[in-house]
Amino acid sequence: MTRFAWLQARSQTLIVAGLLAILAVLAAVTGVQLAHLYSSLVAPCRASGADCGFAMDRFISHDSFLQGSLQLLQRLAPAIIGAFWGAPLVARELETGTSRLVWTQTVTRRRWLLSKVAVVGLASAVAAGVLSLTVTWWFRSLDQISGTQFGDFDARGVVPIGYTLAAFAFGVLAGVLIRRTVPAMAASIAAFVFARIAVQQWVRPHLLPPRHLTSSLLKADGFGFISQGGGPLDLVVKGSGPPGSWVLSSQLVDHAGHATTTAQRMAFLHKYCPFLPTPTARPKDRVHIGPADDQNFRTCQQAASRAYHVALTYQPKARYWPFQWLEAGVFVLLAAAALAGCYWVVTRRLAS
Amino acid sequence: MTAVQATGLGKRYGRRWALSDCTLSIPSGRVVGLVGPNGAGKTTLLHLASGLIEPTSGQIDVLGDQPGSAPDALARVGFLAQESPVYARLTVAQHLQMGRWLNPAWDDGFAARRLDELDLDPRRRAGTLSGGQRAQLALTLAVAKRPELLLLDEPVASLDPLARRDFLSTLMEVVATREVSIVLSSHLIADLERVCDYLVVLVAGRVALVGDVEELLAAHCRLSGPRRDAADLPAGQIVIEASHVDRQSTLIVRTDGPVLDPAWSVTPLTLEDLVLAYLRRARDDGAERSSDALAVSR
Amino acid sequence: MIEFHLDPTSGVATYLQLVQQVHQALRLGLLEPGDRLPTAQQVVAALAINPNTVLKAYRDLEREGLVRARPGLGTFVIGTLPRTDPTAQARYRRSLATWLRSARSAGLDADEIEAIYRSAVRDCFSEGVA
Repeated sequence: MTRFAWLQARSQTLIVAGLLAILAVLAAVTGVQLAHLYSSLVAPCRASGADCGFAMDRFISHDSFLQGSLQLLQRLAPAIIGAFWGAPLVARELETGTSRLVWTQTVTRRRWLLSKVAVVGLASAVAAGVLSLTVTWWFRSLDQISGTQFGDFDARGVVPIGYTLAAFAFGVLAGVLIRRTVPAMAASIAAFVFARIAVQQWVRPHLLPPRHLTSSLLKADGFGFISQGGGPLDLVVKGSGPPGSWVLSSQLVDHAGHATTTAQRMAFLHKYCPFLPTPTARPKDRVHIGPADDQNFRTCQQAASRAYHVALTYQPKARYWPFQWLEAGVFVLLAAAALAGCYWVVTRRLAS
Repeated sequence: MTAVQATGLGKRYGRRWALSDCTLSIPSGRVVGLVGPNGAGKTTLLHLASGLIEPTSGQIDVLGDQPGSAPDALARVGFLAQESPVYARLTVAQHLQMGRWLNPAWDDGFAARRLDELDLDPRRRAGTLSGGQRAQLALTLAVAKRPELLLLDEPVASLDPLARRDFLSTLMEVVATREVSIVLSSHLIADLERVCDYLVVLVAGRVALVGDVEELLAAHCRLSGPRRDAADLPAGQIVIEASHVDRQSTLIVRTDGPVLDPAWSVTPLTLEDLVLAYLRRARDDGAERSSDALAVSR
Repeated sequence: MIEFHLDPTSGVATYLQLVQQVHQALRLGLLEPGDRLPTAQQVVAALAINPNTVLKAYRDLEREGLVRARPGLGTFVIGTLPRTDPTAQARYRRSLATWLRSARSAGLDADEIEAIYRSAVRDCFSEGVA
């Protein structure tokens, strides 16, 4: 049965293999150029310790179209495989009636389903792996200079393989339940997008308990004031964690460690920084603090740093790979659950 | 040995009974015609017999075994589904390859010979075949599997007259050369008249008539003569259908002996007349039982 | 060798049509002792009929002593039927023509004549059977 499953999947697999090969060649050629640009432009500058803003900008904007395309492709690929390989796997057989042809050969439905899922699932995983390897390799020097690896977490490493397996399994399940190819394709994409968003929002930050850090306001990445629609000024701070870490939240706390409220901060500003300009009622008006106000700004920052600290929750840089494997594992589990559902429907419900 | 034995067999889809309380016994070594109007439950019965679906109630045995999903049971029964589905994107040769891979008892010589006789290019994609060629390919697959029982669901319904004839010729050649029992369904008795020697008539999910074709034909006749009441007939003659005009009565009767009454002119029935009489009787019975019962079971 | 054909509208059972066609061929001299009848498979392929029908026809012919099945070789003609005498045929045809003309001059039309002929044939041959 495995041979027959391969016979059915052969042409689609070869087409994708061909496309991946073309992409790999393209990536190899442009990737070498990119690496050259890095070693000739960025690396010497960083070694010298000078301000590298210009060099970095040039490097980061190099081949921006290709960068965008690869990032997009990497994120879309699982959904595409789920829709075009997963959804039709069983749905097309049910739709065209060939299920009745193959189920009455001397092969059990169990073996039929397992063989098909194994062959096409394996092809999906390999395709996703090759694509992810290509993309991860191509971006390696760009990723080096970005602040945190967590920024493109979902488009590098092993998670795309997990995504692809889940998308594939959702596709098969949608096909088994809906029994028609095109609606199943749509449903598989919807299910996959939902799973991705849900995991990103509610699961990924908690895969391992985050670490906490309290630091001085003076070391914060950003410090400033904001006004909502011309109301009183509020204090905003953007804390920065250890290098390469993924900051989940940053908030201002008082000495006792309690989070501050907006009202408290407004009262503080009113009391200690009365010299700040009053916001105008027009919401889009920016309040400029010119050089003349520089001294005032610093005074205010000093005062605030004595009253408040920045409390951060973050995931350290070293957790990047554990997180990759954990998230991939979550999606592999989702895939397994979906495939167990397929198995149940095909062997039980489609017979009743 | 019975090919198919059903006892109180029923199959429900949602609230609708596609087949209900079906009890019948089909002997093996026969060519069985399964006839009934559309929606009578023919496909459901064949799907149950092939193990594609499981019964809601009752029991069905095929070749003395429960039909099913086990390889042994699958190997013994060949099935040709309605519209003869094939893989549109695979070639004819690849279909035979599938048969070879998926069936331990595969008869490669037969399959190759059939392709030759059919003049089918093995490199052609099945999606480009005509309906008749597709049906022949599907039949080749089903027969080369070497089943003991071959089930065919409306195999000729969508074929043109020539393809229909070719298909039935092939099927009958198979019967002549192999030990195989055949059950084929059709909503048109004319399709099956020449080929089947055993008949099962299904109406609205129930068996209306079952038996050996010759015995059925011998046991039924049309009586026409001066008008009289059907109740006057001697014991042993059962009226299946009666129609009366002013002075004449025409009866279709089932009789266990010769009709001796000289007042009747006796003519034999064709299989089609016989089946139609039972179909009408079943329909009228159904209408009497409950007018909406029929609608539900359809 | 003979080739069978079927008339689906005749109302005559298929196996009987085959038997009658062998009879006819024997009478006309198209089949002679030693000739082989087509195999069941050949008949089936040509006519798309149930092989049992062919076997039944051949069994009937065998019972009549006209053919014999030799396992593995086929079914062969061993008997003969008296050939219809052409002059006798012509004689009866002439007398029927005379009868037809008189019936027509008596005012009977073609339908009526055919009905009379059919019922007479049935009566005549059922006497022989019963």
